[in-house]
Amino acid sequence: MPLNLTDQAAIVGIGASQFGRALPESKLELAAHALKQALNDAGLTPGDVDGLAINLGWPLGLDYDRIAESFGLDIRYVVQTWTHGRFITMCLQSAAMAVATGLADVVACVTACSFSQNRGLLGGPHDVEGYREDGGTHAEAPQYGLTSPASGAALAAQRYFHLYGADTDALANVCIAVREHALRNPQAIMQTPLSLDDHRNARAIVEPLKLFDCCLVNDGAVVVLLTSAERAKDLDAAPVYLSGMQGMRAGRDEFIFAPPGLGVNQQQPGRGYARAADQAAYEMAGISRDDIDGLYTYDAFSPLVLFVLERFGFCGPGDAPGFIADGAIGPGGSLPVNTSGGLLSEAHISGWNSIAEIVRQLRGQAGPRQLPAPAHLQWATAWGDSIIFRS
Amino acid sequence: MSDNARPLPTVSPDNRPFWEACARGILLLPHCARCDDAFWPPSPVCPHCLEGPPDWREASGRGIVSTFVVVHQPWFPAFKDALPYNVAQIQLDEGPRLTAAVVGASNNTLSIGLEVVAIFEERGDGVYLPMFRPRGTQRD
Repeated sequence: MPLNLTDQAAIVGIGASQFGRALPESKLELAAHALKQALNDAGLTPGDVDGLAINLGWPLGLDYDRIAESFGLDIRYVVQTWTHGRFITMCLQSAAMAVATGLADVVACVTACSFSQNRGLLGGPHDVEGYREDGGTHAEAPQYGLTSPASGAALAAQRYFHLYGADTDALANVCIAVREHALRNPQAIMQTPLSLDDHRNARAIVEPLKLFDCCLVNDGAVVVLLTSAERAKDLDAAPVYLSGMQGMRAGRDEFIFAPPGLGVNQQQPGRGYARAADQAAYEMAGISRDDIDGLYTYDAFSPLVLFVLERFGFCGPGDAPGFIADGAIGPGGSLPVNTSGGLLSEAHISGWNSIAEIVRQLRGQAGPRQLPAPAHLQWATAWGDSIIFRS
Repeated sequence: MSDNARPLPTVSPDNRPFWEACARGILLLPHCARCDDAFWPPSPVCPHCLEGPPDWREASGRGIVSTFVVVHQPWFPAFKDALPYNVAQIQLDEGPRLTAAVVGASNNTLSIGLEVVAIFEERGDGVYLPMFRPRGTQRD
């Protein structure tokens, strides 16, 4: 019988800096602000933090050692992944395992980015990931001028359109719904409405993706603090428990930005309804998909929202554009997605801004965009990992 | 490498036979010596049965566009004069999909299912890249 992690770890503190473009503050200064706010939120001190879980280290973020030495932390547990947003779930899962097993008492997930100053790493000659033998992880092929994660999302979107007869308006509806959430969030960078015409007339980045299909390039920091369920009972803030989880998928049928069966890279074509392997988090949390009151996802590019909805079975293959056009994911919809505005319209803090939003929603602290008494909120990505949270 | 030069492919012991053959105008694919399947990307062993080393065999060079993009963002100074340019994934008749570009077709005539055949384009330093040109037919 494996160790049961259901509800054994909880988020007990969140903090955020200002989000913006070309902010004057360094990553360390942004992170210090978010850390102090998170400690204050939880009623903890720097001396209580003995673990770090980092998914965005140098050159895009802060490394664990720099965080520890700069903020005077005495750390005994560290996980730091390859510098990618995709590992956000793994960070939270590792933090939960560490506090549940006693490897650490309090783990801080510290994410600070100054993408405004790091644009050269996000596509082009200095985006070194593309130079991996036989292609980057998003199908980059610099010898053909293919670079940047956006290209991988564009390859998948084009194939999706071909299979299901959808077009760029399906992406526009994602961007518009997420923007409508952002308009209810004063911290969001994007504060003006987005229309279908705005999207149609936007400049192309890598067709079929246009400007608004790509996440913000911005600066900011978020800190999330986790501890064990037992310790959480004694702290100031209402705990938000990690009830169910499942890890990232990899294999020949996986491509980071396409659901299984789409036929990108070496994926065997043939799409079906959500697989049992992609339902494990619900089982662990003791709920069904229908119990989810809101979905939060890594919307670095708008097609990823279509893909996560279909991967987890909220929609059948090819059905996500209709689901979204009917208003399901926007404010007041049956499955609100990224209620603070996500990476597309709030800020790209490697997804941690959406984790902080999950906590605010489950505590009832989301102000004008508060969901009506959400019981379970799900974090899930197009590449198959997930965490289900409850208050 | 200068930012003003178009990037060259990253050659490794695993893919060297592929790039050496491209310079001779031949498209090679690794096949498993035991289960016979062609696979991609190159690997010292077959991804299905771990048999190795692979048997490099000449491919037909024929396939279809399985997806494509058109790049507008001036990410590479060395590709600026080519904007907007296409990059496609080509599903070869042998099964594997290669990422490459389609030449001899305007971007607005590209489509998934377009039948293509490999040609080779010199990129300097003795490096040749496979490119694909339309054969004038379409497959579902």
